[in-house]
Amino acid sequence: MVTFIARRFSAMIFVLTSISILVFFIFFATPGVDPAARIAGRNADQQTLMQVRHSFELDKPLPFRYVSMMRHLFVQRDLTSYVNRGAKVIPQLSQAIPATFSLVIGAALLWLFAGIFFGVLAASSKRKWIDPTISFLGIVGISLPVYWLGEVVNLITQSKLHHSVFRWVPPLGYVGLSDNPWQWFMHLIFPWLTLAVLYAGIYVRVLRNEIMVVMGEDYIKTERAKGASEKRILYKHATRMSLMTIVSLFGLDFGALVGGYALLTEVVFGIQGVGKLTFDSLQNFDLPVIMATVMYSSFFVVFMNALVDVLYAVLDPRVRRA
Amino acid sequence: MGVAALIVSALVGTTSASAAASAALAPYDAKHAGGTVTLVAQAAAGTLDPKVNYTAQFWQLYQATYDGLLTFSYGSGATTFQVVPDLAEALPVMSNGGKTLTFKLRTGIKFSDGKPVTVADVKASFERIFKVSSPTAGSFYNGIVGADVCLKTPATCKLDKGVVVDAAKNTVVLNLVAADETILSKLAVPHAVINPASAPAKDAGTTLIPTTGAYMYKSYDPNKSLVMVRNPYYKEWSHAAQPQGYPDQILFKFGITPTAQVTAVENNQANWAYDPIPADRLNEIGTKFPSQVHVNPLTAMWYLPLNVNIAPFNNLKARQAVNYAIDRAAMVKIFGGTQLAGPVCSFLPPNFPGHVDYCGYTKGATPAKPATAWSAPDLALAKSLVKASGTAGQAVGIVVSDDDVNKQMGIYLQSVLNSIGYKATVKPISGNIQFTYIQNTKNKVQISVSQWYQDYPAASDFLDVLLGCASFTPNSDSSINMSGYCNKALDAKMAKAKALGLTDPVAANKMWGAIDQEVMADAPVAVVFTPKQLDFISSGTKNYVFSLQYKMFVSQLQVK
Amino acid sequence: MALKDSSEAIFSESPGKIALRILRKDKRSKISLTILGVIVFLSFMAPVFSHYVADSNPFESTLNATINVHGVEKPVLEPSTTGLGLGVTPIGPTWNPRSYFLGADGQGRDVMARLLYGGRSTLLIGTTAGLLCIFFSLLIGIIAGYRRGWIDAVLSRILDIIWAFPVYLLAISLSVVLLTSGLTIGFIHLGSGSFALPIVIIGVVYIPYVARPIRAQVLALREREFVRAAIGTGAKTSTIIFREILPNVMPSVVVFIPIIVSLSMLTESALSFLSIGVQPPAASWGTIINDGLALLYTRPMVGLAPGIMIVLTAAALNLYGDAVRDALDPKTRARGD
Repeated sequence: MVTFIARRFSAMIFVLTSISILVFFIFFATPGVDPAARIAGRNADQQTLMQVRHSFELDKPLPFRYVSMMRHLFVQRDLTSYVNRGAKVIPQLSQAIPATFSLVIGAALLWLFAGIFFGVLAASSKRKWIDPTISFLGIVGISLPVYWLGEVVNLITQSKLHHSVFRWVPPLGYVGLSDNPWQWFMHLIFPWLTLAVLYAGIYVRVLRNEIMVVMGEDYIKTERAKGASEKRILYKHATRMSLMTIVSLFGLDFGALVGGYALLTEVVFGIQGVGKLTFDSLQNFDLPVIMATVMYSSFFVVFMNALVDVLYAVLDPRVRRA
Repeated sequence: MGVAALIVSALVGTTSASAAASAALAPYDAKHAGGTVTLVAQAAAGTLDPKVNYTAQFWQLYQATYDGLLTFSYGSGATTFQVVPDLAEALPVMSNGGKTLTFKLRTGIKFSDGKPVTVADVKASFERIFKVSSPTAGSFYNGIVGADVCLKTPATCKLDKGVVVDAAKNTVVLNLVAADETILSKLAVPHAVINPASAPAKDAGTTLIPTTGAYMYKSYDPNKSLVMVRNPYYKEWSHAAQPQGYPDQILFKFGITPTAQVTAVENNQANWAYDPIPADRLNEIGTKFPSQVHVNPLTAMWYLPLNVNIAPFNNLKARQAVNYAIDRAAMVKIFGGTQLAGPVCSFLPPNFPGHVDYCGYTKGATPAKPATAWSAPDLALAKSLVKASGTAGQAVGIVVSDDDVNKQMGIYLQSVLNSIGYKATVKPISGNIQFTYIQNTKNKVQISVSQWYQDYPAASDFLDVLLGCASFTPNSDSSINMSGYCNKALDAKMAKAKALGLTDPVAANKMWGAIDQEVMADAPVAVVFTPKQLDFISSGTKNYVFSLQYKMFVSQLQVK
Repeated sequence: MALKDSSEAIFSESPGKIALRILRKDKRSKISLTILGVIVFLSFMAPVFSHYVADSNPFESTLNATINVHGVEKPVLEPSTTGLGLGVTPIGPTWNPRSYFLGADGQGRDVMARLLYGGRSTLLIGTTAGLLCIFFSLLIGIIAGYRRGWIDAVLSRILDIIWAFPVYLLAISLSVVLLTSGLTIGFIHLGSGSFALPIVIIGVVYIPYVARPIRAQVLALREREFVRAAIGTGAKTSTIIFREILPNVMPSVVVFIPIIVSLSMLTESALSFLSIGVQPPAASWGTIINDGLALLYTRPMVGLAPGIMIVLTAAALNLYGDAVRDALDPKTRARGD
C-alpha cells in the first residue's frame, strides 16, 4: 500500500510539473496576451509601459519567470493576479472551492441516483416500452448543450414563469452553507438539475449496457441454475460488476468537475466557484489565476484516478492480482 | 477669471441641445434617503485605485467617492460638462500666460479615516500619479514642471517646482511647462483626485484608499462584489461638486451574465444593470417596462480603424471604398436599432465641441462636396474604387471582440468587403485583449472594429489623441493611433487649434471642425455610428439623473 | 431467427458474417440507418435546397432583405414597433420552405439553409473525431490493461495529463495564434478554417473517458480463465488480443460511440465559438446553436433546430449501436428479446 501511495504521489508531481510548464509556454506563445499594456491602461505612454513591465518581472527571461511564479504559488503562497493588482490568487481560489464542491457533490448524487435507478430499470424491466423511452431520454440528456440548457432553465424559472409557477425560485447566485442552509439548498436546486442532466444521460446508457452484457455471462446462468431469483442476481452480481465502468467514469467526471470543468454551469447560474474563476481568468488572460486553477484541477484529476484504481481492486477481486 | 472661464465656457457654450435640458442638481430631499442600491455587472473593472483605473465602469463610481481640486458638475444636460471647483474653493487664478494656476484649498474637509485634507496631501497626490505609473501620466500630466524627470524615475518622483504648496496660506500653485487649454478638464478626471499622502506608492489594486466624497469603500472582492457605504466624515460643501447621496449602501455585484442582469432588474432583485442589454431583450424591456428605460446621447463613436501602412488600406481609394460601402443603417440594426444609435460620418460626434453636421461618404456626396447627413451606402461607387485602386482580390482580416454585438458587426463587414471585391475573413478575439491587440503593429491588423468614448469634452481628445503622430508607436501594445496615421501638416494644424483654444475657443472649435473634414477626406478610419446610453432601472428605483461625462449618477438613485 | 438457422451458421460462417446477417435483419438497424441516411442526404442536398427551393445565399448578410407575407412586404429584421421601439428582431419560422422555413438569424440569413449546410461540417467533424477517439482509446486501453507494469504506468500518466489539461486555454491560445499568423507544424500550415485542428483536439480530449473503462475491463478480463489458458498455451499476444480480449471489450465500447459522437458535436460548438474550426460565414450546427443563444428570448427555434438535429443523429447512432452490440454478442441474444 505504501509503495502504491509513494508511486502515485511521485506520478502526481510529474503530471503537475508537465502541465504547469505547458500552461506557461502556451500562455506566452500567444500573441497579444502581454499584460503590461492592459494593466498600464489605455493610451499609456511608452515609459509607463516599461515601468509596468518591470514591476511584473515581464522583462526577465522565460525560465526565470516560470520558477519565480512557481515559487510564489507553492512556497511563498503569495502569488498575485495580473488583472486585479495586489489580489492574492490562493485566497481567491480557496473562497471559490466550497461553491464548486456544493454544486458538484449535489449534482453527482442526483446523476448517480438517476443513472443507477433508470439504468437498472431499463435493463431489467419486462415492459417493452420502458427501455427505448429511457434510452431516448438519456440520449436527449447527452445531446443538450449545458450552457443552452442553463439559459433555458433561467428563461423559464427566472423570467417567463417567475411570477407564477416558479415564484419560489431565488435569484441567481450562491449562498454559503454556513450562512444560510435553506437558501444554500434553494439556490442550488436548478444548477444541480442542469448539471446532472448530461451525466445522468451518459450513466443511464452505460449502466444499462453493462448490466445487459453481464446478465448474459456464464456465471449468471450458473446462479440461475442454482435457483437464485432474477432480482437477487441483478442486485448481487450484475450491478456490482457493471459498476466498474461507472466507477471509472465517475472518477474522471468528478475529478474534472471539482477542478473547474463545470464552468459553463457556474457562469449561467452566477455561482462564484472554481469554474467561474477559471472562466474569468481565461477571458482576462490572467496567468497567475489560470496557473493556480489548473494546478488545483490537475491535482484532483490525478487524485481521483488513483482513488478509482484502488476501488477497482475492491469491486473486482480479479484485478487485485494485477 | 480670464482664461479659466473661457475654457469652461468653450466646453459648454458651443454644444447644442441635448436630451435633458441643462439644469443644476435638484436640492437634497431627506425623505428619500436610506436603503441599499444594488448594481449588477458581469465582471469587476480591475484595480480600484482611482489613479490607475481607466474604465467607464469605475469612473462612474468615483464621482461619489473621490474628489480632486476640480471636478465635473452634477446636474443634467450641458451642466454636466462644466468643470466646477471641488476641493479647491474656486476655479484657479491663471497667470503667467496660463502657465501658472493658483488654487486655494478648502478647509475642514476630512478623509474617510478622519484625517484632514491638507496641501501636503495635494502635492503627494500629484506625485503619486507618476509613482503608480498612471496611464495618463505621460499624456495628461506631462505638462507639469518636473514631470519629465518623474516619468523617467517614478519611484523617487518629486514635484517641488511643479506643485508648490503653502500650508500657512493653504494654497496650491501648479506650474506648467506650457499653457494647456484642456488643463482644467485634466484636473477634473479621477486620475487627478486627492488621496492621503500615506496612500501606497504603487497601484493599490484591491486595497481601499480613504475617500473624501459622500461615500467610502467598505470592501472589494473582484470576484464577488464592491461595497460602498456612507462616509462618516463627509459634510456637503458643494451641491454641484459632491452632493449628499440617498442610499445608505451601494452594492455592486459581479458575476451575473448580461441576460441574467436584465431579468434581475425586471424582478426588482437589482436596481440597475451595468452591461449593455442583450439584443434579444431590447424589445422586451422597451415594451413591458418602458418607464424604466432611459436612453441618453453619448459623445462617443463606433469606428473602423484602417491600417494606412499595410495593404490594402495603404491605398486612399481602398479606404474611401470602405467608407462608401458600409451600410451604417445595417450596423445600427445590429447594435439594437435607430433608437439606440445614429449613423455618422464625422470624426467628432454630434453635440461635441467642434462638431459639424456633414457626411462625405454617402450616396450622392463626396468628401469635397459633402451632404449634411448619411443616407445610404454607394456599393457601385465602392466597387469601382476598389477596382481602380488595384487592391481587388486581396485578403483582408477584420479583427473584432468576440462578444455577440462586435462579432455580428464583423460578420456583416465580411459580407460587405466580399461584395466589393475583397476576400475577407472575420477574426474574433477575446474582448479583454482585442483593444491592445489592434494597437500593436506586430499583429498586422488591417481593419478592426473599435469604440472611442471621450475622456473629457474637447476635440483634441478625439482628433489629436487618435490621429496625432505622437500617438503612433510601432511594435507597442500602447499605440492608440491604430490607423498608424501620421500627417505632419495635420499635426501642425492641430497644434495651432490647441493654442487658439487658449484665447479664442469658438474659433478654435471652428478649426477643429475643418480639421475633421480634412482628415476624413483622407479616410484613415471609417466612422460608423454614434451610440446612445441605455440604462434599465428597476421599478423600485427613482430619481434617475444622467451625466454626459460619467453617465448615471449612482449616488442619486432613490430606493425609499 | 430460428434455431435451425443459427446452428447451421455456426458450422459454415465466421462470427463476423453471422453478426452482419443478424444486423441486417434487425429492425432497429433498419430504422436507425434510414434516419442517418436522411440526415446525410439532406446535408448533401444543401446547395440544391438553398438555390432552388429557398432561393437565398445563406452565407451573405442581408440585413435589409424583405419577404412577402400575405402580400405585404415585411423586413426580415423587424425593428420593434411596440413601446419605445427598441431592438430589432429577425422573423420567426414561416413554415414555407420557399422562404425562411425556420426563420432568419441575426444577419438576415435563412436558418433552414444554414442548418443543412451545417450538417456537413458537424457530421464530418463529429464522426471523424469520434472514431479517432474510439480507435485510440481501444489502442491505449487494451495495451495498458493487458501489459500492466511500467507501460500501464506511463500510459495512465499520459491519460491523466490529457484529462487534466486545460483544453479551453489551449483553444483560446490557438485561436489567437491562428488568427495572427496561422500554425506551422513542420511543413503543414494550418489556418483558422482548418478542420484538422478541431478534429484532433476533440478526438484527443475524450480519449481518457473511453480508455480508462476499457483498461479496467481488460485488467479484469486478463485474469479470466480462458485468457490465462490462452497465455498458458503460448499463444501470441496479438492473437490473444484480437481473439479473446477485443470481442469481449467491444460490446461495452459500442455504447460509447453515440455518446462520444454527441459530445464531439457539442464540443465542436464550443470550439467554433472560440474560432477554431468552422469560421464565419460558414455554418455548423454548433455555430447555429451559438447564434441561437443570442436569440433565445425572441427566436428560440434558431437554437432548438440544430439541437434537435444533434439529438436525432445521436439517437440513431445509439439505436444502431444497440443492434450492433446484440449482433456481436451471442450472450445477450440468448436472453431472448
